[in-house]
Amino acid sequence: MESLKDKAAIVGVGYTPQGKVPGRSSLSFHLEAAKNAISDAGLKIQDVDGLLVQPAMGDPSVTAALVAQYLGVRVRFLSVLDAFGASAGCQAQFAAMAVAHGLANYVVCTYGENARSGVSEYGTALNGGLEYGLFGPAACYAIAARRAMHEFGTGPETWKEIAVAQRRWANLNPRAAMYTRPMTYQDYYDARILVEPFRLLDICQISDSGRAFIVTTAERARDLKKRPVYIMGMGQDHPATNPQQATFLTGPTGAKLSGEQALKMAGITLKAIDACEIYDCFTYTVEVELMDYGFYGRGEGKDFLKAGRLGPGGDFPLNTSGGLLSEAYQMGFTPLTEAIVQLRGEAGDRQLGVPTGTREPEIILVSNNGGVMQTHSTLILRK
Amino acid sequence: MMTSYTKPLPIINDDNRQYWEYCKQHELRMQQCNDCGYIRFPPGIICPRCHSMAAGWVKLSGRGKIYSFVVYRVSYHPSYADDIPYVVAVIQLAEGPRMESDVTGIKVEDLKVDMPVEVYFDDVTDEVSLPKFKAVS
Repeated sequence: MESLKDKAAIVGVGYTPQGKVPGRSSLSFHLEAAKNAISDAGLKIQDVDGLLVQPAMGDPSVTAALVAQYLGVRVRFLSVLDAFGASAGCQAQFAAMAVAHGLANYVVCTYGENARSGVSEYGTALNGGLEYGLFGPAACYAIAARRAMHEFGTGPETWKEIAVAQRRWANLNPRAAMYTRPMTYQDYYDARILVEPFRLLDICQISDSGRAFIVTTAERARDLKKRPVYIMGMGQDHPATNPQQATFLTGPTGAKLSGEQALKMAGITLKAIDACEIYDCFTYTVEVELMDYGFYGRGEGKDFLKAGRLGPGGDFPLNTSGGLLSEAYQMGFTPLTEAIVQLRGEAGDRQLGVPTGTREPEIILVSNNGGVMQTHSTLILRK
Repeated sequence: MMTSYTKPLPIINDDNRQYWEYCKQHELRMQQCNDCGYIRFPPGIICPRCHSMAAGWVKLSGRGKIYSFVVYRVSYHPSYADDIPYVVAVIQLAEGPRMESDVTGIKVEDLKVDMPVEVYFDDVTDEVSLPKFKAVS
């Protein structure tokens, strides 16, 4: 079987206004993001012949055909794809397969939601438990985090490092919700405890916004407007089990197997990774994913994760846009699009390399995680 | 009197109706696969271990321990506003499966992972009894 390594590239990225953007449908965010990605790639509307859509949790009325209709495209590769927070990475993988086999030339992948100002489903139960007062994903992850405190002694003293480091990156990113708001360790400890053991600053923030990217073949990518970002490796692992029965709340999550597969395809080891864009719905999620990717052993996050090395100027740059915690919650699109912007050298004040005193980025690891660690996808991207 | 219950009730469907019927009789029963013996939860038509569709409803001891828990310090639903702080726990049952539930009768500060608990039934409406847990010494 021929490997998909380096066969596909990401060639367009589309953002929209984000944060609190009232008065807009989630569909409108899909459309504006797609339009901007098409323009960013230097493509014409008529070039688009593939479309993969992740509908927002709160708005399943946004179908793939509806997005195609409003975009004015006639495609030969079309689907809704929903693996929760792992979707963006999965969309990239399905799109890569499609273009590698000639089923489409340019696949647009979109996301959009208006949950901050419009319809939000984030307070409801993901996997049952409403009758016991189990509302919202934060509480489900808090249960996982509490178990990890018991099993390997993690806790707020480790999670604060993640929160503070990512805020330092956000303070360099004008697009980030927390651009103008620094965070100290004391700010972290002073934050209100919502669902113990999580404080407000352990939890990502819902955003009205949309995001999109475009996948094409490596050959086509070289003729387009922007520097291509190649997909070196990819993997998925979806434990899927109901979280009450889950054996993976303290690892190994889907990061382990999907990461091993992606590294194997890319033909590299973790040493070759210059930066990580890790799905960070909650601080603890980052700790367990990096552990499962193999950056440190079980329970060693408390020694490895220090804001000084994770933030600007550090030797282990993490979530350089500010991530879901401090930039914007756009599911797996937040880490994925940031990796593209960094590898293109378009990240402005937060650009990896000389501007922030870090390694020049050649290869970035992107993780996507969904449900209560029930889905996972990994991408390894390179210049 | 029961009509004053304002909290969300379980969503009873064709897959889980039997479970809630047993709860109403104050029995904690879960499906056990007739072929491989695996006790599964939540209820479903096939065994996720061996795909057998043959299953019976085994009566559980109701004993277990706290696998993990979350303490709500803010209310996510108006019907729980007066309960803050309250706990939702995942209970590791003695027979193997886990379930989410409330743990009551103990201060949240005193809760610990692995603490032993046992089931009781809270008749929240005429139609629904919720299996809940209390700490045992």
